[in-house]
Amino acid sequence: MIGEIIINAFLVTLMLTIAIFIINTRKVISTILLTGTYSLVAALMFVSLDAVDVAFTEASVGAGISTILFLAALSYLPKEEKEEKFNLKHIYAICTCTIVSGLLIWASYDLPLVGQLENPAHQHLAQDFIEGSRNHIGIPNVVTSILASYRGYDTFGETVVIYTAGIAVLVLLHDGVSKISKINKEKK
Amino acid sequence: MIDQIFGVWNYWIVFILMMIGLYIVISKKSLLKKIVGLAIFQTSVFLLYITFGKIAGGTAPILTDNVNEIYSNPLPHVLILTAIVVGVATTALGLALTVRINKAYGTINEDEISASDLVEYHEKYLEDKN
Repeated sequence: MIGEIIINAFLVTLMLTIAIFIINTRKVISTILLTGTYSLVAALMFVSLDAVDVAFTEASVGAGISTILFLAALSYLPKEEKEEKFNLKHIYAICTCTIVSGLLIWASYDLPLVGQLENPAHQHLAQDFIEGSRNHIGIPNVVTSILASYRGYDTFGETVVIYTAGIAVLVLLHDGVSKISKINKEKK
Repeated sequence: MIDQIFGVWNYWIVFILMMIGLYIVISKKSLLKKIVGLAIFQTSVFLLYITFGKIAGGTAPILTDNVNEIYSNPLPHVLILTAIVVGVATTALGLALTVRINKAYGTINEDEISASDLVEYHEKYLEDKN
């Protein structure tokens, strides 16, 4: 029990450290790799919070595919960010973020403590889904049975979103990529 | 006492991570960095949901023969599975837009993009005047 809590606390703190490093890196490649690491640590975090399905999706999709997408985009983009001077805008942003996070942390005292069986989130649907998965659907993995059966329309909507995004990306890049490579050749 | 502190520790870190993501989105000029900021924000929200689903002493929601087993709440897991995949779709779309903007303007720096827009408007204005 205590061990679990300590692992949890260590992993979230690791995520925080990585996120702080991401703010100030100017080399784009290190930003991308740090983001991948961040996703991977998040996946570990999900394992320790008992969400195994989410963990392997995050590890393969969040840490894998999106890192590949970033690297692919990087081949068309500048490799380093321009240096920014610290100005009034940054101070406004820091103030906004500090105030909002202060308010959220203040509000967190009203949230139920992590991991209590009597938390409101566990009182209604979850038990029905677990029993239904055992008695009616017959799949041992409850997440799968909810995903494909109880909330099947959700998954259908997700497929539509991915399809739309895929079409949009194709439309955006259709002539873009070939022209970019032409321009690059002319520059050389 | 230690339970009390660690009972809200996850929430605190999640909120701070959210705000780091928001800060990157607001303050960084590079469009690519903004997308990274969105990704950080997103992952922290996933973490918040999964934290809600955790039950101490429970196991992953895969049914065993033991009838008295306590399972963590599977519903947030399903919602977040959907959200992760949609998140990658939006990241891909954002990256495609960034590549396209870089092609049109030759830069992905916000200030330079609006500056070159201004120059264009000014030239058009002078043309109309003459």
